[in-house]
Amino acid sequence: MKYIYSIIKADYLQRTRSYSFLITLAITIYAAYSFVPPPTASYTTLNVVGYKGIYNSAWVGHVSAMMTTIMLSLYGFFLINGGIKKDVDTGIGQIIATTPITNFGYLLSKFLSNFFVLLTISVLTFLISIVMFFVRTSGSPFIIGDFILPFVFFAIPALFTVSALAIVAEVFLGRKLILQYIIFFFLFGALMANVVGHKSSTINTFIDTFGVNTMTNSVKDKVNTQYHEHIDAVNLGFTFSKKHRFKTFEWDGISWTGVFIASRLMWICIAFGLVYFSSFSFHRFDFKQASGKKKKAMAPANISHTNGTFAAGINVSLLPPVVTDYSIFPFVKTELLLLIRKGPKWFWLVNGGLWISMLFVKFDIAYSYLLPILLFLQVTRWSELATKEVTNRLHYFTWSSYKPLQRMLPSQLLAAFIMAVALALPVILRSAAAGSVYSVVNIINGAAFVVLLAASLGIVTGGKKLFEILFFFFTYLITQKMPLADYLGALPHDSPIGLISIMLMLNVFLGAVSFSVRSWQVRHL
Amino acid sequence: MALEIRNLTKQYNKHKTGLSNYSITIERGILGLLGPNGAGKSTLMKIIATISKPTTGTLFLDGEDIVKNPDNIRKILGYLPQDFGVYPNLNAYEFLEYIAALKGVGGPDLRKRIDMLLDGVNLTADAKRPIGTYSGGMKQRIGIAQALLNDPKVLIFDEPTVGLDPEERVRFRQLISDLANDCIIILSSHIVSDIEAIADEVAIMQNGALLEKGTQPDIVKLVEGKVFETILDSQQLNDLKARHLVIDTSRQKDQTRARYITRNHEPEAGSVAVNATLEDAYLFLTHTKA
Repeated sequence: MKYIYSIIKADYLQRTRSYSFLITLAITIYAAYSFVPPPTASYTTLNVVGYKGIYNSAWVGHVSAMMTTIMLSLYGFFLINGGIKKDVDTGIGQIIATTPITNFGYLLSKFLSNFFVLLTISVLTFLISIVMFFVRTSGSPFIIGDFILPFVFFAIPALFTVSALAIVAEVFLGRKLILQYIIFFFLFGALMANVVGHKSSTINTFIDTFGVNTMTNSVKDKVNTQYHEHIDAVNLGFTFSKKHRFKTFEWDGISWTGVFIASRLMWICIAFGLVYFSSFSFHRFDFKQASGKKKKAMAPANISHTNGTFAAGINVSLLPPVVTDYSIFPFVKTELLLLIRKGPKWFWLVNGGLWISMLFVKFDIAYSYLLPILLFLQVTRWSELATKEVTNRLHYFTWSSYKPLQRMLPSQLLAAFIMAVALALPVILRSAAAGSVYSVVNIINGAAFVVLLAASLGIVTGGKKLFEILFFFFTYLITQKMPLADYLGALPHDSPIGLISIMLMLNVFLGAVSFSVRSWQVRHL
Repeated sequence: MALEIRNLTKQYNKHKTGLSNYSITIERGILGLLGPNGAGKSTLMKIIATISKPTTGTLFLDGEDIVKNPDNIRKILGYLPQDFGVYPNLNAYEFLEYIAALKGVGGPDLRKRIDMLLDGVNLTADAKRPIGTYSGGMKQRIGIAQALLNDPKVLIFDEPTVGLDPEERVRFRQLISDLANDCIIILSSHIVSDIEAIADEVAIMQNGALLEKGTQPDIVKLVEGKVFETILDSQQLNDLKARHLVIDTSRQKDQTRARYITRNHEPEAGSVAVNATLEDAYLFLTHTKA
């Protein structure tokens, strides 16, 4: 057991000692603050069509726990995903494979390390929820149980489940990151479908991974009873509305029934079960056995490196004279090649299918669903845009080259922008054909935003995770018709010019961050 | 052509100093950098390669300040870092074209130049395979080829022979020697014999400071007459270690042959004086001048 503890500790420290994690914590603090909006805010995080709860311990505690559970389940997967891959990349895996640790022991330690990373974030939001209670209320009694119990019963089982799903994804889909993301995207949508709109019943309680169905039903019942309504819908998550006047009701929390607690324990057991069954298929870092076909091509033994040494050597005086050419086009070409070759070839069939679909489906579907999804499917291409030099240890060459800042970074941005615009071309052409100049500008702005966000976050954090998490959020929220995340201008807005200006300013800001930080980095290796 | 480094200091943080008030003048030819791990060799090379800025001090190439104007040296720089990587999805041609673009090398003969370099490092047959499939030695060879793409006048090789087999090492040394007539070559290695075979001058470093710089005969002269060999048993060996700097030992049945440097010019009884080598001088300096 001691060695499992040691692996968990090392893995946890490795993941949390990064700029990316620090920035995630900072964003979490802001998110937790926003879970309890002021009365004058233009959004709510939970309302029952025209009604919202009075801020008391129960409301603040439950809503904060509910929002933490859902948000952390959504982006937590991206945050913790890759624990096994890291061991593969660093070569640690091969050392681990030679130790007596069992497959289950190893996966269990990775699973628990995943869980503790997420737990750290949820503890932070828990503490902030208490602070927010005192900020937003006056005179309402503080009941600590109203904060602790929802976090325990909502968040912990959900975090165990997400931690286990990350393990399952890595064991069964290995390095097929994008496939993992797509599957999780749809799986999360399916899990969310159980949260709202289902009547109270034992079966519905058990199938709700997040455990908040019981809460939404309780809130709904309270309104229907108090105001003699027959409301069947609850707005959960950041719901923006111009309507500032809600009728209020006092809600005292939910009663933690035996069935509810059993359902939460069931999800914890499912999580452990998933890890246990995954251990039977775990490759234990034996890739020839796990994916013989691919690794066969990678094996150096298959390479025909003549006799393996220098041949006649290099006679420098016979080399053709050097002709200088400081244009950036060769870079753009190579960057485009790297973008295109990233990921499996068959994935271009999916991209092609979506691209063609965008020409023929209803314009609204193409613009607000297919385009953001198509751009998201390229997430691993964007996320390594400005990090791949360092991760591939090529920055020694690029940063010591002639005018790296003026030539390299613009080439990377330009290549990615060309690809993003090419992917969006069907919607751009349809918008242009319909005479919608705003849409054309919005899409181009949005394409630039994706590229600049990926580059700036990659440069600042040195990693890919933060961008991948944020981009997943943006995509998910656009498909949920959330205007705040609408970087493509796909949803109706009060002021199209306003959106264009905001996105333009954001792009300029992200560009400035990218260039200024990279400018420092190229001289401070 | 001369690279003048004056009072260079690189302070990473309060407790970690990469270089300390380091001054050296490097002229055309091969300068071998020797020093234990953490001596500051890679820090010095990174500063010359313009990817690290010194905390204080100056660095001039033919009178031009390359700390202030790094692009001046970048045009004529060939750099092979110790722990470089590649884009695994590119093949050797594409990779070298990319590096050529970085270095601002183009023109109609670029392809021919790449062909000849690939041929020179014996990678023509594998040039169209993704570099991700290459062995360590092959990657090292493509690293050497990229360093020569722009006809460099300043070449920096940080542990270039790592991953090369003995035959490749010999070829590499030959290549370096051929290049030395026309440019400044700075070469660091843990393998003293590599430096010994090709370096015109040697700089020995420790703890971020320059201990000694000179031609090989000058450096070796520092320990001439101080190097001896003797045969003794294990107890005597411990006594010898306490009194002298033992450079090397080899077992011979129940006894041990020991090579040592006297600290006080008084050899042990029965010892035989032997010719000093660069390795003797290096170990002597790093153990006595720290």
